[in-house]
Amino acid sequence: MRLPFRQQEAKDSLYSIEVKGLTKCFGEFTAVDHISFEVKKGEIFGFLGANGAGKTTAIRMLCSLLQPTSGEAMVAGYDLATQPKLIKRHIGYMSQKFSLYDDLTIFENMQLFGTIYGISRKELKDRIFSSLEMLNLEDKSKTLVSSIPLGWKQKLSFATAMLHRPDIVFLDEPTSGVDPIVRREFWNLIYEAASNGVTIFVTTHYMDEAEYCGRISIMANGQLKLIGTPTELKEQMQVDSIEKVFVKYVVR
Amino acid sequence: MKELRQILRKEFTHIFRDRITLFLVLAIPIMLVLLFGFTISTDIHHATISVLDLANDSQSKTLVENITASGYFEVVSYPKSESEIDHDFKDKNIKLAIIIPNNFEEQLTTDKFVTIQIISDVSDMNVASILNNYVKAILHDFTDEYNGTATVPIELCTQMMYNPEANSVYMFVPGIITLIMIIVTALMSSITLAREVETGTMRMLLIAPVKKAWVVVGKVIPYMILSFISTITIIVISVVVFQMPIKGSVWLLLLVCVIFMLTSAAFGTAISSLVKTQIDAMMITMMGLFLPTALLSGFLFPIDNMPYFFQILANVFPGKWFIIAIKDVMLKGSGFMDIWLYMLILFLMAAVLMTLSLIRLDKRR
Repeated sequence: MRLPFRQQEAKDSLYSIEVKGLTKCFGEFTAVDHISFEVKKGEIFGFLGANGAGKTTAIRMLCSLLQPTSGEAMVAGYDLATQPKLIKRHIGYMSQKFSLYDDLTIFENMQLFGTIYGISRKELKDRIFSSLEMLNLEDKSKTLVSSIPLGWKQKLSFATAMLHRPDIVFLDEPTSGVDPIVRREFWNLIYEAASNGVTIFVTTHYMDEAEYCGRISIMANGQLKLIGTPTELKEQMQVDSIEKVFVKYVVR
Repeated sequence: MKELRQILRKEFTHIFRDRITLFLVLAIPIMLVLLFGFTISTDIHHATISVLDLANDSQSKTLVENITASGYFEVVSYPKSESEIDHDFKDKNIKLAIIIPNNFEEQLTTDKFVTIQIISDVSDMNVASILNNYVKAILHDFTDEYNGTATVPIELCTQMMYNPEANSVYMFVPGIITLIMIIVTALMSSITLAREVETGTMRMLLIAPVKKAWVVVGKVIPYMILSFISTITIIVISVVVFQMPIKGSVWLLLLVCVIFMLTSAAFGTAISSLVKTQIDAMMITMMGLFLPTALLSGFLFPIDNMPYFFQILANVFPGKWFIIAIKDVMLKGSGFMDIWLYMLILFLMAAVLMTLSLIRLDKRR
């Protein structure tokens, strides 16, 4: 059954992501099994699960990189099935794997991605320099990306994903492999973006980071097992940390 | 269009920053042509031979003169009998002996049929067959001069027609162009596309609201331009240094090259759509395209001499059609109407593969 979505304009809603029965099968294997949830606008939504639980597949479907087998979703107010192009304009994405070009400079990387999102040249230059300023990298714009440390690269990826001012940003394990100080700085960036009304959809394996989220969900075997605020989940499972919730659920 | 321009700009930046690859891509074609042209040449000049002239009349002397004047042969000995020829092979290291029979002139005028015996040292088969062909060509010319009343037993070698000196550079140039285009266009674009998949940047591009076709086209065009530059370099060197003729239209030749570039690019794109890593892209392009093209396109081994299965298989690889087309244009002076079929085959290969790989890329989204 299809919801009566309006075709071209973004649906005005309290939620920036609404997912109903989203499923992805690869042959016999069901990677994502009828998951349903909502994410409010400006919320920091933690998407947890063990390796292979189906998180990345779910994110790739929400970014319209992968066609769902069944189910439906509204992302940034657009229908995933009929308006993938509009969704792409309104979302940002950053993956665990650093994915900027090593042999281009910081400025060239940002200019490339800004341009393909259709930002005008002058506007783009202003945005690039203001975000480099925020990251304290303004004097590094001509540095090749290959020669900067991983922590900087991750922050730079985030800034690049935010250049076109998306409504939602998907972060797939953005802090894996970086030191605790950079992780803290990174989360400051996330908070700042969220306070500007950007919805943050983040996956992580760091349970302390899960505590920073407004709400979290836990996936196991392709299914969404739990969803709620960190406090709710801890009370529900009668434990004192998200880590214990996670271990209890994933082991079950 | 702005997006395409940006992707092109990015790709050129990659290329110009990677100086070593750029140098190799531009220098290798030049090195290859010069190498093939000067060293791996199968032309033989001044091959040492013996002539046993049993007739010793005016016609036989003319024939021997023709043979020496050709430049291919140097007569090092005039044995008096057949037994001496054997010594010449061993002691004077001759490659070939020619025996002109008794009463050569008489037979030529009255019997209208003469048998000339050639004894070759076939320990090097290639040299032997090339020298045999030279002798046949000289005999052919000789009978022509003799106003065609006599028939000297001659097998016609069709290749001799368009490359009378059997100049091997002419044979290698189309092959080198083919291999270079496959390396620069197919190999480089399959590797560079696979690199984007491997490093994850492809996902960043596909997640952006940019047409997938632009991503592929933007990545492939720079390598097509590079291979076009290489192709022109090869052609210029072969014309200037090796006096290779371009009997047909230069524009038609360039058009054929552009079409083959599209085909190579399409093969590269198709291969990259099947693989996830640069190594796989490289291995498949080398083993699945480069090697079969080198072996089956008729550039190293004549297709007609292959087992039937390989003759059929050769049709699948674009190199065969391209080599036929450019040889025809350069050596025979063929026009568009003569080679349109080959061009169509190449173009269809390009269109089908490009469509399939875009569809596959679209499924990945």
